[in-house]
Amino acid sequence: MSWQRIRAGVIGIGLLTAGAYLSLGDGSALASPVPPQTFNLQDVDLHQTRGSKTAPIVMETFSDFQCPSCKVLYVSTFQKLNDNYVSTGKVFSIHRDFPLPMHAYSRIAARYARAAAQLGKFEQVEQVLFQNQEKWEKSGDVDGTVASVLTPALMTKVRALVNNPSVDAAIEKDIALGKTYNVNQTPTTVIHYKGQTYPVIGVVGYDVLRPFLDQLLSSK
Amino acid sequence: MMQSSPLNLRRAIILIGRLFLGATFIYAGYSKILHPTFLLHPWIALKFAVTANLANFASEVETFQVLSASGSAFVAHTLPFFEVVLGFLLLIGWRVRIWLVAASLLLVGFLSVLTRAFLLHLDIKNCGCFATPEPLTGMTLVRDGLFVAVALLCTYCAVIEARKPHPWSAPSNF
Repeated sequence: MSWQRIRAGVIGIGLLTAGAYLSLGDGSALASPVPPQTFNLQDVDLHQTRGSKTAPIVMETFSDFQCPSCKVLYVSTFQKLNDNYVSTGKVFSIHRDFPLPMHAYSRIAARYARAAAQLGKFEQVEQVLFQNQEKWEKSGDVDGTVASVLTPALMTKVRALVNNPSVDAAIEKDIALGKTYNVNQTPTTVIHYKGQTYPVIGVVGYDVLRPFLDQLLSSK
Repeated sequence: MMQSSPLNLRRAIILIGRLFLGATFIYAGYSKILHPTFLLHPWIALKFAVTANLANFASEVETFQVLSASGSAFVAHTLPFFEVVLGFLLLIGWRVRIWLVAASLLLVGFLSVLTRAFLLHLDIKNCGCFATPEPLTGMTLVRDGLFVAVALLCTYCAVIEARKPHPWSAPSNF
């Protein structure tokens, strides 16, 4: 038996080992991409959306108000995205609640945001929650943070809605939807275009996202 | 001169060690390039996913506060590919001594950076080691310390073995 044959055998064993390692080492790492799904706009709560329903690209963002990366995505990417793609009718953006159990106040923050959304004040509440994330996550004062951007009358209505079971049910519905996309971390943005689904996990910078959206829009 | 056996302990250590390190490096590089956003088709989606993943990795490198933003971006765009190549070279066993030395140096570098961040209590939410987001903890250091120990042991064995004649080489008076 020649040295070359032994070496070939070793290479084979090595590749098999690598394959086994990749397959068994971390199941989540090899999770298959989400299969294309038919996106149904009728199920969308329009209170938590931005842009036109007829936009060619639909972006669903599964977000947690207490998650630092969600704040980064909101501040660094989504504000520019809104100016250049949402307001121009190219992208329809949907906020999905995905409060993680590890965050003590994310569920209550989602409740407040959803309650405010029902009164047409989602954008203001979303902005104040993300911009003051470090403060309320320490103090737990979600109510005071939201109250800083709403009138006392609206705040009274929000407080009444926060404990409404329908608000929690809507959050649970978003979480269940996220699980169908294999969402297990936030932020996760699911981009829909012409029947194709592209899940994007984590923070994606505007400079990285922009060329992709442009290429999608220019593709036939 | 007395010849060593073709399958002595040192050779077994080198073989197992390089297969383990090779697979680990390939997995580490692969997970940085194709995770967390895993899109393979069409080409524009793959390109976008790789760009987004490497940009994410660059921001993780930046949290260690060792390199500037441009330095972190350079490392993020080269290191994962180097890891994959290094892993394959270790698996195939070509010039194994050189690549074991390279792997040892790289792993010692990683361990140094991680230890520094740990001692400085830097808020590292994801060490960027593999695909799964993993905060920097003492266990991360222990695991990386084991990788370093394996790499150094293999390098030592490879250097010792290189000083001996190959068991199947022709005798010197042949």
